[in-house]
Amino acid sequence: MKIFSANNGLRLLFYSFVLASCPPAASARAHASPPYSVGYYQQTISGTVSDTSGPLPGVSVLVKNSGISTISDVNGNFQLRAAIGDTLVFSFIGYKEVTRVATSPVMAVVLQEDAAQLQELVINAGYYSVKDKERTGSIARITAADIEKQPVSNVLATMQGRMAGVNITQKTGVPGGGFDILIRGQNSLRGEGNSPMYIIDGVPYSSQSVGNSLTSNIIPGDANPLSNLNPQEIESIEVLKDADATAIYGSRGANGVVLITTKKGKAGKVTYSGSLSSGFGSVTRFMDLMNTPQYLEMRTEAFANDGITQYPANAYDINGTWDQSRNTDWQKELLGGTAGITQVSLSASGGSEQTRFLLSANYRTESTVYPGDFEYRRKGMRFAVNHNSPDNRFSLSFTGGYSLQDNNQPGTDLTFDALRLAPNAPALYNPDGSLNWENSTWDNPLRMLEGKYTSNSGDLTTNAVLTWKIWKGLAFRSNLGFTDLNYSESTTSPSTIYNPAYGAGPEYSSIYVSNTARRSWIAEPQLSWEGQLRDLQLKALVGTTFQELTNTQLVQSGTGFTSNALIYNLSAATTKNILNNDRTVYRYQAGFARVNLNWKGKYIMNLTGRRDGSSRFGPSRRFANFGAVGMAWLFSREKLFTESTILSFGKLRGSYGTSGNDQIGDYQYLNTYTSTGINYNGTIGLQPSRLFNPDFGWETNKKLEVALETGFLKDRVFLTASWYRNRSSNQLVGIPLPGTTGFTSIQANLGATVQNQGTELTLRTINIDNGAFSWITAANISFAKNKLIAFPGLESSTYSQQYAIGKPLNIVMLYEYTGLDPETGTYQFRDVDGDGVISSPNDKKYIADFNPQYYGGIQNTFSYKGITLDFLFQFVKQDNWNPNYMLGMPGAMVNQPVAALDRWQQPGDISSFQQYSSGTRADVLNAFSRYTQSSAAVSDASYIRLKNLSVSYALPQAWTQQWKCRLFVEAQNLLTITSYDGADPEFTATGYLPPLKMITTGIQLTF
Amino acid sequence: MKTITNNKTIQDLFRKLGIILIVTCGTVSCNSCSDFNEVELPASQLAGESVYENTTTANAVMAGIYSKLRDGGLLTGLPAGMSNQLGHYADELDFYGSASASTIPFYNNALLPTTRDMSSLWNSTYNIIYSCNAVIEGVATSQSLPQQDRDRLTGEALLVRSLMHFYLANLYGAIPYVTSTDYKINTTITKTEVNDLYSLLVNDLLQAIELLPQQFSTPLKVIPNQVVAKALLARVYLYSGLWAEASDMASAVIGNQNLIWETQLDQVFLKESSSTIWQLASATAGKNTNEGATFIFETAPPPFTALSNAFVGAFEQGDLRREYWVTEVTGDNQVWYRPNKYQQKTTTATSMEYSIMFRLAEQYLIRAEARVRQGDLIGAADDLNKVRERAGLTGSTATTVETLLEAILAERRVELFTEMGQRFFDLKRYGILDMELIGVKPGWNSTDSLFPLPEAELLANPNLLPQNPGY
Repeated sequence: MKIFSANNGLRLLFYSFVLASCPPAASARAHASPPYSVGYYQQTISGTVSDTSGPLPGVSVLVKNSGISTISDVNGNFQLRAAIGDTLVFSFIGYKEVTRVATSPVMAVVLQEDAAQLQELVINAGYYSVKDKERTGSIARITAADIEKQPVSNVLATMQGRMAGVNITQKTGVPGGGFDILIRGQNSLRGEGNSPMYIIDGVPYSSQSVGNSLTSNIIPGDANPLSNLNPQEIESIEVLKDADATAIYGSRGANGVVLITTKKGKAGKVTYSGSLSSGFGSVTRFMDLMNTPQYLEMRTEAFANDGITQYPANAYDINGTWDQSRNTDWQKELLGGTAGITQVSLSASGGSEQTRFLLSANYRTESTVYPGDFEYRRKGMRFAVNHNSPDNRFSLSFTGGYSLQDNNQPGTDLTFDALRLAPNAPALYNPDGSLNWENSTWDNPLRMLEGKYTSNSGDLTTNAVLTWKIWKGLAFRSNLGFTDLNYSESTTSPSTIYNPAYGAGPEYSSIYVSNTARRSWIAEPQLSWEGQLRDLQLKALVGTTFQELTNTQLVQSGTGFTSNALIYNLSAATTKNILNNDRTVYRYQAGFARVNLNWKGKYIMNLTGRRDGSSRFGPSRRFANFGAVGMAWLFSREKLFTESTILSFGKLRGSYGTSGNDQIGDYQYLNTYTSTGINYNGTIGLQPSRLFNPDFGWETNKKLEVALETGFLKDRVFLTASWYRNRSSNQLVGIPLPGTTGFTSIQANLGATVQNQGTELTLRTINIDNGAFSWITAANISFAKNKLIAFPGLESSTYSQQYAIGKPLNIVMLYEYTGLDPETGTYQFRDVDGDGVISSPNDKKYIADFNPQYYGGIQNTFSYKGITLDFLFQFVKQDNWNPNYMLGMPGAMVNQPVAALDRWQQPGDISSFQQYSSGTRADVLNAFSRYTQSSAAVSDASYIRLKNLSVSYALPQAWTQQWKCRLFVEAQNLLTITSYDGADPEFTATGYLPPLKMITTGIQLTF
Repeated sequence: MKTITNNKTIQDLFRKLGIILIVTCGTVSCNSCSDFNEVELPASQLAGESVYENTTTANAVMAGIYSKLRDGGLLTGLPAGMSNQLGHYADELDFYGSASASTIPFYNNALLPTTRDMSSLWNSTYNIIYSCNAVIEGVATSQSLPQQDRDRLTGEALLVRSLMHFYLANLYGAIPYVTSTDYKINTTITKTEVNDLYSLLVNDLLQAIELLPQQFSTPLKVIPNQVVAKALLARVYLYSGLWAEASDMASAVIGNQNLIWETQLDQVFLKESSSTIWQLASATAGKNTNEGATFIFETAPPPFTALSNAFVGAFEQGDLRREYWVTEVTGDNQVWYRPNKYQQKTTTATSMEYSIMFRLAEQYLIRAEARVRQGDLIGAADDLNKVRERAGLTGSTATTVETLLEAILAERRVELFTEMGQRFFDLKRYGILDMELIGVKPGWNSTDSLFPLPEAELLANPNLLPQNPGY
């Protein structure tokens, strides 16, 4: 059987581990006895280490062939016990190593900067690290330098516009909300199956949303757990994109892998650092909506057009019930506030060359733009310690972080109300300060603020990596980690959200509470080997992964309280319901391997592979293999170019391979019944959970990439160009079914193939660097084309109206708007099938593509002495829904953009909007309904945004002495240039608060 | 340095730890490799096969179905159900709630195929039909369920499945008749014309009558038995114009010894009412009906809905139902009226009212109508007067076929108002929707007699084309 063979393989791997590691373990123990005896001649040797500009702290000083070492202090001084004649080794990162024989008890050593070594940037590739210049895969990277200067709370926000091939959209401006991230486009037909894999310090971090839709109305698509991580704690983020980089992640690498590495301690004197910043946020753009005279003119005309002279009883805006002289800008009223932002962080870092630590703590609060008192708070602590034995054979790295989030938000987003309320709708408050219900003629939007959304989370992530160099090039390494996320969320509906006319007292108040706990552990023992065969350098790695993730969730509701003050006490509710009580387990095991061949640093081949098993699939489809080959040719190291003064670096690389996708949710292959949690006649009901299919398997993604990396003029100009083509097949989807099947979808593999093809360019130039003044530009642009290239039976499938062969996935099929009928004053559409009727699906043939055509960013950094100015423009060329799609029909009791004044009034009129109607005439209403699903509802939503601007000033050292002091101003989304006529062009679902504009100022002290 | 010894110890400790770790990892993984990827069922789910091997869990599936009828879909008393929506769609109710409420398109007779509510009505109804079919199939293949329970469960599932199809047909016209859980069949299923559907439902209900027990299993009639299937069958016969069968079936219901005519108007809607044929138990002890919560308001102007003045004017002078089942609410120097059949808006110490699905008065009116159509005018008048009498009215003066039919229609209007769309269906059966609603409802069009099929549904299954006229 398949399972057995696979497991035998894994078992073998394990035995080999145990065998491989035991005998050296014995020898290592023997070796652990002191390799030297305390010498007769030993004495104290001291001295100073410096470089050309002065004393150098943190330099490691090692007595060769002994376990003795130390580190130079803040003044560059060191002292240790050694004998005259011993050899001392001085090393410090970025400097050439110096070896000296101790000839006197006092020594002075000068270290030289190692330009070559400074360039040897090492990139984290997950299971291994690789020199940037010698990597065969496609990896994008940003570091703390860029992350730190952004006043945002979510890691994903810091990546926007800075990485080629990574497209990020913020879904809501409400703190704690989510982001959409696509690495090289949409691979899966399932919208929710396109998330990359996140790994924080080696531990996979589930980005699956926590919470429950019952308890998180305000956040589209539930809360995103990545907001637990404070961007200020991050050292670097690497995004793995191509097959060479992702195949080693097998079934979870199809959508790319995001590796997040947190900061670690640095050797040397303990450095304390603290920073404080605060500022404000506000909505980026408002829509231009009608004022009361314009609105009333529209309404009057609408009823006149409908032939209604007696205004209906519920047309309060126009039948005289509401004051027609009132005029409220509801956007300003409901969303026009400013959110306050405060952030404090403290850290201490230091240690010896053998043991280093970092301890950091941070606190952030963010209030909202809504009226009322709402706040998001995050507190976090993180601890990192690294230790290595003096002989460097054993090392240990531990990181642990805990963060607490408290989020209090209104129960419902007010954005929709702000756009739709009639401008002459009544005042929000009565003179006595209570909510005004205007004799039950409206639902005061602020009633929603009486209901509260609160979420609390505690998130622990820990990771330990043990490395043990067993024998020459052979090392054992084990990555161990666990995460523990506890998340509770509640949404209240106190009786005060209801119109008092309902006579609802606290007996109507209700609360929904969800508690989610997510625990995971991972163990990844690995063996690696490095060796040299003449000019061939060989690296090999084998390892296995065991991972388990357990999710438990309890969702409860309580209704009927004796007082609204007791609403958070479920035991005080008269009716309590348990809506969901579930525990799900995901288990995953794998074996993986890598072989890297490097000939003279010129020709490199990298082979990676993985065999995966996952509990998400039925027994017959549980295991699968993935693998890739990557190659690189560093042609600049060929003789022809070594003398070149122009070309300083040149590499051609390519890769091909497979990775997979298992984001399907747990247990989907089982035929089960689920408890409804609802009582009927003393019995709690059961219901069929789903239509089931036991035989679905992995999605596979074949990735091909070719890239050229070139550096000119000593790398002052560095240009990379890459071309990729990813084909994702065996699509794992919930195939939409008609409602007559009892459900709306079934999980199955579909023979469809999706292709993502694109080109990514990055350019970094050092325009000026004369010591005092420097100007660096970094730019990236990604052109991407998404295409459905095969879909057997598309025409007859339920997808026939969703996809088209040769077109992208993210399309909608619409009526083609052909203009206004000047005679009837209603919208007209192309009758594609010519049957005289505009009907779906035959006439919905216009295809709107919502994929960005290209996107990217341009960053400029200027520094002059202590002043640094840095700004990033982010740009996206795309189409999206426009206000015609989201606002109601002009003439109905909803407000409209001012543009809707250009309407048809009498035969012969040429205008952009059709005649107004209050909504009672079927022809006008149908025309409008089609209009919202026509080409007229989509328009250009491209934008160029000043995503980030930061100015900082480091006070001259002469003033601050031992201290370092930096003052800064940081801004996000400061300026948006767009022709889009809705509110903000960055959104995925309509009716939610757009991303905010934020400006903060702060101070950082280090000593 | 002084840390040397320290480092040594730590180093040694870690080495030992490392060895332990490797060995443990190795052993643990080797022991558990083969089934590491096997996970147990989640806490909230039960394996499908086992559900129908046990009477308790099989009953729980039916309980799930009944609670869904009560809390959602077409027949719920919540605002999204037909009691409220069709009351506005026809001429019973006026709407006063928010401009974004889901009732607005119903009130304006402006339903659209794309409205999400239209899809959810359709989908939730077919989801219940799926569950019914799952019960029928599961019971059939069960190894260990006693015969008596097999029959009862199959009968209950057939009854609910028929009820769902019946409502769908009256709202949408020709619709798919679904009798299997196989999605491959149901994905491409075609529509069945209304008359053909009725004969299929007749067969199903005759079978249900065979299978269901004669006695109610609970004193409060919350689990349907044979007589409930007969009551629905009487209605199906009436709607399909099979007058003799309709009148026989109604007679069988009226003559049932478990049902006793309730003479007090204020007792009819209490949960102990003897004339109730089937009602849905409340979710929790003390909870009352969703209808009560939807329709009752205390202050004026009404925040959500109120009976239309035209409707209130339809009561004859002296009709006690106007007094007992309609309540006046005064405010702002004006009077509004609310339905008061169910009188409890909130919870009470113990539940007082349950949502009634079938009651005896309708059966008398079914028989009256069927009798007129067969020429039995005296019998018809007797049945009609039985209902009038309870309302404190004298016997009907109608003596001809036409006047009697008119009188029955008028009686149904004031007897069955806000009960799951009876008024709308009556106007439709009588063929007088346009006559009654044009002028009363500004948005009314002849094609509004049928709801639009949800657009998503037509896209997913082109066999359901064409769309109903007018959409």
